Amino acid sequence: MNELRAALAIARKDLRTLSRYKWSMFGMVFTPLYQGVIPAFLFGTAFAVGGRVVGLESAIGTENLSGFIFMGGVMAGLIATTFWFIAMSLRWEMDMGTLEPTWLTPTRHDTILIGRTIYGLAIFIAGQIILFAVGLAFFDLRFSGDIILALPAMLVAVLAMLGVAFLLAGIVLVIREANFFIDCTNFLFGVVSGVSFPITFLPGVIQPLALLLPTTYAMDLLRQQAIGARPLFDPALEYLGLALTTLLILPFGRWVFARAEHSMRVRGTLGQY
Amino acid sequence: MTTLAADLRAFAAAVRKELRTVRRYPTQWMGLIFWPVLLPASYVLMGQAFSGSDARSIAAFAERSGTAEVAGFVFVGFAMYMWLSTILWGPGTALRTEQMRGSLEAVFLTPTSRLVALFGPPAAALPTLVITFVVMGAAMWLIFGVALPLDGVLRSLVVVAFALPALYAIGALFAAGVLRFGEIGPIVQLIRGVFVLTCGITFPVLMLPGWAQTLAWVLPPTYIVQDIRAVLLRGLGLGDIAGDIAITVGLSALLAAFAIATFRVLERSARRNGMLGRY
Repeated sequence: MNELRAALAIARKDLRTLSRYKWSMFGMVFTPLYQGVIPAFLFGTAFAVGGRVVGLESAIGTENLSGFIFMGGVMAGLIATTFWFIAMSLRWEMDMGTLEPTWLTPTRHDTILIGRTIYGLAIFIAGQIILFAVGLAFFDLRFSGDIILALPAMLVAVLAMLGVAFLLAGIVLVIREANFFIDCTNFLFGVVSGVSFPITFLPGVIQPLALLLPTTYAMDLLRQQAIGARPLFDPALEYLGLALTTLLILPFGRWVFARAEHSMRVRGTLGQY
Repeated sequence: MTTLAADLRAFAAAVRKELRTVRRYPTQWMGLIFWPVLLPASYVLMGQAFSGSDARSIAAFAERSGTAEVAGFVFVGFAMYMWLSTILWGPGTALRTEQMRGSLEAVFLTPTSRLVALFGPPAAALPTLVITFVVMGAAMWLIFGVALPLDGVLRSLVVVAFALPALYAIGALFAAGVLRFGEIGPIVQLIRGVFVLTCGITFPVLMLPGWAQTLAWVLPPTYIVQDIRAVLLRGLGLGDIAGDIAITVGLSALLAAFAIATFRVLERSARRNGMLGRY
């Protein structure tokens, strides 16, 4: 119970800090719009024949371009939240010089990341609500009510991304100057998961890598339920893939995080900038 | 020594200092390979998914963009994106970095021209920008089989030469904001977003609604990226784009005059209220 209180306090503290930076809050919504959703939508529309994106239809079985892009935006948002709001948050504590005092509190160190996860998810959900409102108002966003059936896949994906966050946080603790690393891996994770285009368009050697990521399955299940996209595999098989990859990444991520933390305590680098 | 010669020496010293600083952070050099290749490559693959290699889709794209060469269109657009990012962040970041280090006041007390502080550090980014363009050209050729013609490359260098003053004027305009507001990162993000959305960088300008197209045609990057695509991908000569170049030069003159006036006003204000020394 105390750990839950601590996690909620961390999330509340981070939300309060963020609320003081209005431009940053604006950027969190505007940046995905101008860097991802709008250019992708207008780029896709440039291929339309008689108002229909026939190429997309032959690739995934639906010509619902805005649905395809906005659903990709959901998964891209979840991935970015994991990489920047959860894993990279330890680096910000380092920058502020508060990582060592935080580590010395009696709170479990896992709880610190879980608090960040609650904060990240709150921002993620609020951002998606705004993005979907923009999509419905200006980009002819259409999706089926069956999107609700993708909720279990999304919840499992959140759990898997917690494992990824632990793994990345361990790496951030070790390499410290992690901006470039997080930026690149965030981009690659999204592309290989199929957020921008179906993974069948990836070069052949990278496609097996895509199948090792839980987000690939979650992405496919979400698009299948929301816009009727043709799935990569049988949905039952995709759920199995999602569950298996989650079961692997969660303990592995925690193990890497624990090892990195132990190494930092032994070497005394926790307080170093 | 004349004032001009002294300023040129100071300019060279500022560039040298910046290059020496950049050399100490080798991990940043990895970005020179990663982003110029993977960012546009992911867009080209997205284009393949949207077109489904359907001849009708490619023809529709060619009609709207002026070229059926999707990879070429995307790579040139992203080269412009990286150039714009460098220009928008460069001069402003240079002043902001001096402000954060506490050395802006000291730099402004030297008898050198303000242009040295404003454009010396961003000029140091030019070699990395050239490397970025070379990497992009090589990636386009090796991964997507689009080889750029040598005469087209030479003509595009002429376009770049005419474009430089316009882009540096834009950079100077936003750098002036540092003297008034200090942190201008979010504003630069917003302005870069406007450029990305309106200047036809990742999609044809024709896809925009009418009012946004009107806005696009008063922004120099729209002409610059369109002209580079025209000479590289459509084989047009400089005579064919002379009108666009004239407009770019005209807009550059207007922007430069506005940037100089804004910078002077904000500098005077910063000297009065002590903003130069504040973090």
